[in-house]
Amino acid sequence: MDDVKKAKRGEGLGLKAIEVRKLCSGYGQRRILSDISFSIKRGERVALIGPNGTGKSTLLKTIAGMIPDHTGEISVSGKDVRSLTDNERAKLISLMLSKVPSGEWMTVREIVENGRYPYTGKFGILSDKDRDAVEYSLKTADVKDIAEKFFKTLSDGQKQRVMFARAVCQEPELMLLDEPTSFLDIKYKTEFMGLIEGLAKTKGTAMLMSLHELYLAEYADRILCIKDGRLFTEGSPEDILKKDIIMKLYDLKEGEQTDRFLKGVLRGRGAAGEI
Amino acid sequence: MTEKERKNRYIFSFVLLALLLGLFGVLNLCMGSVRLSAQDVANALFYCADTPAGDILFRIRMPRLLSAMILGGALSVSGFLLQTFFHNPIAGPFVLGISSGAKLMVAIFMILSLRLGNALNSWTMIAAAFLGAMLAMAFVLAVASYSGRISVLIICGVLTGYFCSALTELFITFADDSDIVNLHGWSQGSFSGINGSNVRVFSIVILFSVSAVFLIAKPMEAFQLGEAYAVSSGVNVKRLRICLILLSGLLSATVAAFAGPVSFVGIAVPQLMRNLFKTEKPIIMIPASFMAGGVFCLFSDLISRVVFAPTELSISVVTSIFGTPVVIWMMLKKQKEVKAWD
Repeated sequence: MDDVKKAKRGEGLGLKAIEVRKLCSGYGQRRILSDISFSIKRGERVALIGPNGTGKSTLLKTIAGMIPDHTGEISVSGKDVRSLTDNERAKLISLMLSKVPSGEWMTVREIVENGRYPYTGKFGILSDKDRDAVEYSLKTADVKDIAEKFFKTLSDGQKQRVMFARAVCQEPELMLLDEPTSFLDIKYKTEFMGLIEGLAKTKGTAMLMSLHELYLAEYADRILCIKDGRLFTEGSPEDILKKDIIMKLYDLKEGEQTDRFLKGVLRGRGAAGEI
Repeated sequence: MTEKERKNRYIFSFVLLALLLGLFGVLNLCMGSVRLSAQDVANALFYCADTPAGDILFRIRMPRLLSAMILGGALSVSGFLLQTFFHNPIAGPFVLGISSGAKLMVAIFMILSLRLGNALNSWTMIAAAFLGAMLAMAFVLAVASYSGRISVLIICGVLTGYFCSALTELFITFADDSDIVNLHGWSQGSFSGINGSNVRVFSIVILFSVSAVFLIAKPMEAFQLGEAYAVSSGVNVKRLRICLILLSGLLSATVAAFAGPVSFVGIAVPQLMRNLFKTEKPIIMIPASFMAGGVFCLFSDLISRVVFAPTELSISVVTSIFGTPVVIWMMLKKQKEVKAWD
């Protein structure tokens, strides 16, 4: 990454979008995450990788406020999430999932308007400011020309962009994305990564996204590796997307199949030479 | 659809519902075992009620008209709440056994109080029905959360309905009081035998409940996108779920207390309204379901009274005949549901 980009991203920084300290979380008696600590700066895109069932989703759910009984600290924009009301939290953190809702008779615009929930009054009536935010989000996610269509009639790629627009409309400091590209084809995957980068740069939104596809982690500024509910390691894509780390993280066995796979994933970067 | 097209569609559909409500209202007042002309009705309404026609109108047809309209509306709003709760359009107070649970409890309370020599008043009937509805709901919810599959939920609800109905019939058969004869019609579902004071009481309860439903329209809309999205946009999901259960229970219990179980209105009407209005927005769907539920029940009650007059069909016979095709059509149409992060 060149220095100009770094400097640009550094504007108005210093403020951490999220800081997580000694987080332990799980469901009832079952503990999934132990002793997780990390932080993300404004405008930084962080990818979350690791084997299935090791706690990526649980981490996102905990930050999203869906698992209230956790220990440790989570502060977003310097505020402890426990001290926030549901609405206040929603103004700081928004969410996007890999699966899209079915929304039989919902139009794209209605779904995006849903993102204004924490800003509107008792009956959800939109103010001019809310409408502006909706327009901005529709434009940002490139779904303005399909805004009046019914959600169910869209393609998968379009649906994901709509859910992204909804998350943008919430005007968050931090966006959580749970495998946002899993059901998309390559064209949509790369387009989607472009949308995320654009928002991070223009609005300074911090992104924490879990990813299945290792080659997409390339698009992140930093990578967190989760294994067995703990933070295994973290670093830049250059540092993490290497044969030895990936093999350890995913418990891959030495052999021809593994080599072939890693060559595919790591091709085109310096690390490929090390295989 | 653009915002303008949507608005026009809403206006057109609401006007249509209002016209149908008026039409079936007049037909219900005029038709029956004694046929009244529109002039008789107008006379009695506006000039002099002290005629045989006026007597029929105010003692029999008016309360019955209001019952069908208001209880029908309450029932479909209750259905809409349950569909929102379960994220599934096949849910409704009748298929989930809630109506039958309410019916059973009302029957038990009625028989007991008749044994003790006094009849139940309207408020106690509603309370008994609410208790029965909540017990049935608790059982069905427990099974649903244990299994987590929507098909199991529906089957369990239907079975609960059969079980409660069977118990009700059993109690009625062995209850020897002559007043119990009245219970027979009620336990099959009917808008007959509801008097003016009943109407006053349930109108108050339903007015209160439906107003409360309007107050949760905003979180309901967010909840339609699934639990995770709702939480992330700031909805207190636990509180919303409790509200949905209590309000849908209160609405369907009130209906069951006075009209017994009325089948399929809660599923068929909201579904038809989704297709008419082409929206899911609760702020539109709540009034639309209420009005259309009224229209549907007025229509069904008219048929039940008129077609084989003087014999009366039970209301569920008619609502089932017209409601089940809608439900089957829905099931065929329904795509595989996509569940997000539950």
